[in-house]
This record gives sequence, structure tokens and C-alpha cells, in this order.
Amino acid sequence: MKFLKKLFLSIAFLAVTTFGTTSANAGCKVHLGDFDWDSANIHTAIAGYIIEKGYGCTVESTKGSTTPIMAALFDQQIDIITEVWRDNLVQLIEDNLAKGNIIELGVNTPSSTQGFYVDKPTADKYGLKHVNDMKSEKIAKLFADPEAPGKGRMTSCISGWTCYTINLVKHKVYGLDKYYTNFDPGSGGALDAAIAGGFKKGKPVFSYYWTPTGLMGKVDLVKLEEPKYDQACWDEMTKVVEDIKANGPDVYKDTCACEYVNMSLTKAASTKFANNAANKPIIDFIKNYSIPTADVNKSLAFYMDESGGDMEETAKNFLSSNSMWESWVPSDVASKVKASL
Amino acid sequence: MEKYKKFLKLFIYSAIFIFFIIISYRSAKPRYKPEHFTDIFNDFSWLGNWPKWLDFPLMQPLNSGFDWLIVKYGLFFEGINNFLLGLYSSMKNFLVGLPWPIVIALVIIITYFASGRKTNTTIMVAFCTFFLGFLSPRYWDKCIMTTCIVLIGMLMCIVIGIPIGIAMARNKKVRNALLPILDLMQTIPSFCYLIPGILLFGLGAVPAIIAIFVYAVPPLIRLTDLGIRLVDKEVIEASEAFGANRKQTLWGVQIPLALPNIMQGINQCTMMSLAMVVIASMIGTRGIGDEVLLGLQQLNVGMATEAGIAIVLLAIIFDRITQSYGEKIQERTQPKKKI
Repeated sequence: MKFLKKLFLSIAFLAVTTFGTTSANAGCKVHLGDFDWDSANIHTAIAGYIIEKGYGCTVESTKGSTTPIMAALFDQQIDIITEVWRDNLVQLIEDNLAKGNIIELGVNTPSSTQGFYVDKPTADKYGLKHVNDMKSEKIAKLFADPEAPGKGRMTSCISGWTCYTINLVKHKVYGLDKYYTNFDPGSGGALDAAIAGGFKKGKPVFSYYWTPTGLMGKVDLVKLEEPKYDQACWDEMTKVVEDIKANGPDVYKDTCACEYVNMSLTKAASTKFANNAANKPIIDFIKNYSIPTADVNKSLAFYMDESGGDMEETAKNFLSSNSMWESWVPSDVASKVKASL
Repeated sequence: MEKYKKFLKLFIYSAIFIFFIIISYRSAKPRYKPEHFTDIFNDFSWLGNWPKWLDFPLMQPLNSGFDWLIVKYGLFFEGINNFLLGLYSSMKNFLVGLPWPIVIALVIIITYFASGRKTNTTIMVAFCTFFLGFLSPRYWDKCIMTTCIVLIGMLMCIVIGIPIGIAMARNKKVRNALLPILDLMQTIPSFCYLIPGILLFGLGAVPAIIAIFVYAVPPLIRLTDLGIRLVDKEVIEASEAFGANRKQTLWGVQIPLALPNIMQGINQCTMMSLAMVVIASMIGTRGIGDEVLLGLQQLNVGMATEAGIAIVLLAIIFDRITQSYGEKIQERTQPKKKI
């Protein structure tokens, strides 16, 4: 009796495991790449929702920092990325376009800003308008870095983002490195918490930040002016940036630096995914996908204030309160998505 | 009378439960609720996916409570921040300023005398210390920073944790009250107390020290409590028979006999503190965890592994010094060699 019981249980276990694996969905699969900041999360959520409910494909998304996710895209492990900060990575993108690893699918958000920001009360009180205004001992004391006595602290990007190395080079070129540390906050959440914490306690804040973001709409930050954008200057700077990323900060060479350009955020797909003819409807959809900056900001504000941290809720809210997305997809897909809202 | 109490307890708990459900329904947004309350009994679609109106409103009060805490007690947290930061900075600047052979010599001296003149342990610890800088010159300063943070965290744990463990062992009510809190401290995800730490103390070493304390003190408290409770009742009776009062029993009998467990607790405390080091680097704490994070974010497997080896070496150094000191103390009360 005991033997029969064991036999029955083991057969049942084997049956469940084998049937479980063979009954996997053999339909279309899309692997989206997501980053660790909120605007990328929103695009992945919206695109993923449309692909899943409208096209009926299984959507898998992987989150990470710029370097690993872009590497996975170039390695054909990720299919589509919906928000690429192209001008920060221009060397890398051009290289991989030439090698035939990726194709670009046009512009997503037409404008974005990045720069060095100071909180409005301090900027008004001390008349801080240009990065050169920051180069003084008195001002550096306001943003004192408790772990580097004598220097101020600029909360910068995390080391996994390209802007960390760009800011490092800018500090050296502008002469800010004598007065400030290019401080790596460790994670995107920590950066937001540091800025929010500074405002809550009424302390001066000097930080790198960008739009489109949710936090920018909630706190009062003033952007510092830098030397005007120049294409040749930026290209020369990004060469040094890529060199430092590959070989460490000691290979720094004197170069020129200018402000972050108002860059459009693009989309990219791996050639393996794009060359598969069965994926053409999805590629066409992503080519059409484009949300203006103001609407991204609105969705981000909704995410922060009303959704309670629910990205799927935010995606649904965007789809139900806007109709621009209906022109990106054929009408049958649009009706399927609308039905599921 | 006993049955009466049981029913009273059951009644109170179910009243609280129904109260929670009523609060969650009333504070749900109008678009989540059905048109009219009685619709719930007509249309059973809410039995499919968990209904959005059955959502206990914890997030909002926690957020506003936390904001109030920051505004009202800002100065108090500033004080803690400055104290811990001052301790950390002075320790770090002193050690970083010393030439590295002197630091290695210091470690050798401490190990030699803490272990009771054991040469094998001293040689191993010296080699590990040397290897820290040998792995990569950058790691020397970073390991010193991490060591300072871990030392301060461990000091806090030992000073606060062991007395709490002793209190728990002597008093059952304290034990029942503290056990769920210890469970909470161990299982709550680290970012749940790291992010408030940033909002209260700013990025850097202080939230890391607090995080190390929260994460590493529960095993120490539990093992101290266990060690003292496990002391043979007959031995305690014997000490009372010899006329010892409570304090003498505690210091003369219970703590020495519980020492193996307490040393094990300190060992676990060390290991968990070093485990927190990498997580702490995600809130901007400089140290060897930084290097692991850098390797991770820049896809440099070699860098991450090398930094991981450095952390393991640090763990070995801490462990050997504390364990050999513990063995030395235990030799006095429970000698291994027969006289």
C-alpha cells in the first residue's frame, strides 16, 4: 500500500511538471528593456500594456542600469528599449549601428533637459546663475560635504549611468572639482531621497537632475547655465567619457565641455528581433510610439501622487485619458486595448 | 472565568478586524467603490481579483507621520548624525593618515594579545590584512572606511544588544514583547529603513551605521538570550546555595557559562554587518561595497569578484580576532587542558 502511494505521488509530480512546461504559450514574445528611473518605467509600462492586451504577446521586461541593459540590447538578449538617452551614449550607439547590432526606431520624447540644479531659495539669495558662480569657497561651504571637509557636495548620477562620467569630466573642465565632490548616491532612489530630504529640512541642494521626472514638478530647482552647446565640443567630450568608462579615471585628458543639449529620447531594437518578419507589427507600433514631454510629465505626476506607486495603474490612466495612442496601432488592436481598460 | 476571557479576546479581535475593513472601505477612492454599498451583495465580481476597496490605508498616514517626525525632531536627528559622523570621521582620518605598514603592525599587535599569544592566528590575520591592499591599492583606504563603519555599528550592537538579551532572558514579558520586534528587524527589506535614514540623516556613513545596527543586532540579542536561558538550572541553584545574590549569579555564573553562545552571537553580528556593507553602498556610503556596486553597474565581473574577495578577507580578520578573544576568555572558566 505504501509503495503504491509513493508510486502514484511520483507519477503525479512528474506529470504536473512535464505538462506544466509543455503547456507554455507558443505565441509571440517580446522582451522589453527597462531602466531604473521613472520616465523609462512609464514607457515600458505603456508599450508593454499595448503589446500584451492589443497584440496578445507575452511581454517580459528586465530592469537595470544603463550599462547592463544597453549591453544586453547589443548582445541581442533584449528586444526593444523605449527610452534611449541617445546623446549621452552617442559613441556607443554609432558603434553598434555600424556593427549591425541594433536599429533605431525614431524619436520618443522630443525634448528633455539635464543639468546642474540648485534649490531656488539658495540660488536667489546668493545670485547663483552660472556654474562659474559656484566656484567660491563661501558658496561651497553652503553645500558642505560631511565626509570631505573643506569641499561642497554635488549629488551626481550613479556610477551605472553615463552622466556620472560626463559630470566627472565637466567638473574637471569647469574647475568645479577643486570645490565640490562628484558624489555618487548609489541608487536612483537615494538620489531622489537626498533631494527631497534636503528640501524638507530646508537645506541647500546642489545636484544633477533631469526632466522628464516626477520629482522636478514637486520641488523648486533652478538650472545653472553652462557654456552653450556645440556639436564638435560634445563629440570630443564623449570620446574622453567613453575612454574613462573603459579605462578608469586616470586616462582623463583636457577636453572641452558644454551644456547638456535638449536631447530627444529615442527608441531602439535589436536586429535579431527586427529582422524576424513575424515581429513587423510590433516594430511598426514602436516606430509610431511617441509621447510629448508635457504628457510624460503629467503621467509621472499621476504616478507619484495618485497611483500610489502602481505603474500599471499609471499606464491604464494614460491610455484611458488620451487618444493619441490610437493612431499608433491598427484599429482592431486599439479596440482590444480599450476593451481591457 | 477562563472561558469568559477567551470569548472576550475573540470578540475584541473580531471587532478590530471589522473596524479595519470599515476604515478601508470608507477611505477608498470613489472610482474603486461600487455605486452603492449593497451592490457588493448583488454583483460578485469583487471575488475575482482582490477588490481595490479592500485596501488598508497605511501608506498615507505613514508618509505624513514621517514628515511630521522630520520637521519636529529635526534637531534631534541632526545631533545623532553629528555625533556618529564625528566618531566615524575621526577614526577614519586617523587610520587613513597612518602609513600602511604601521596599520598592519597595529593589527598584528591587537591580534597577538587578544588571542592570548597565538601565533597561527596572528600570522593568518596579518596575511589577510596585507592581502587587502595587495588585491588593489584602491582597496586599502576603502577597507579602512568600511572597517570604521562596521566597528562603530558593532560597538552599538554590543553595547545595546547584550543588555537587551540579558533582560529578555530574565523576564518572560520582555521576551514576548521583543520577539516580534526582532522578527520585524530581520525580515523588513533593508531599503525600508535605508530610505528613511537618508531623509533623516542624509547620504553617507550614518544611515549605513543605523542600518547595520538594525540588521545585525537581532541575532546577537537572540543568541545572548538563548545562552543565558540554557545555563543549567542546577548550576544556578548551586550558586544560590553558596549565597550569591542575583547580580553575582548573573556576572559570576550565567554570563561566563553563556559565553560560547554570546561569542557566536558576536560572530553572526559581524557577518551580517559586513553583508549590509554592499547594500549600504547603494545609498552613497563610501567603502568596499562601493567597488562591488561599481562592478555590478558597469558589468565588470572581475572588479565585483575582487571586491567580494576583499569583503571576505575583512570578515575573516574580524572573525578571527573576536573568536580568538572569546576562546581566551572561555579558557579561564572552561579550560580545555586538564591541569
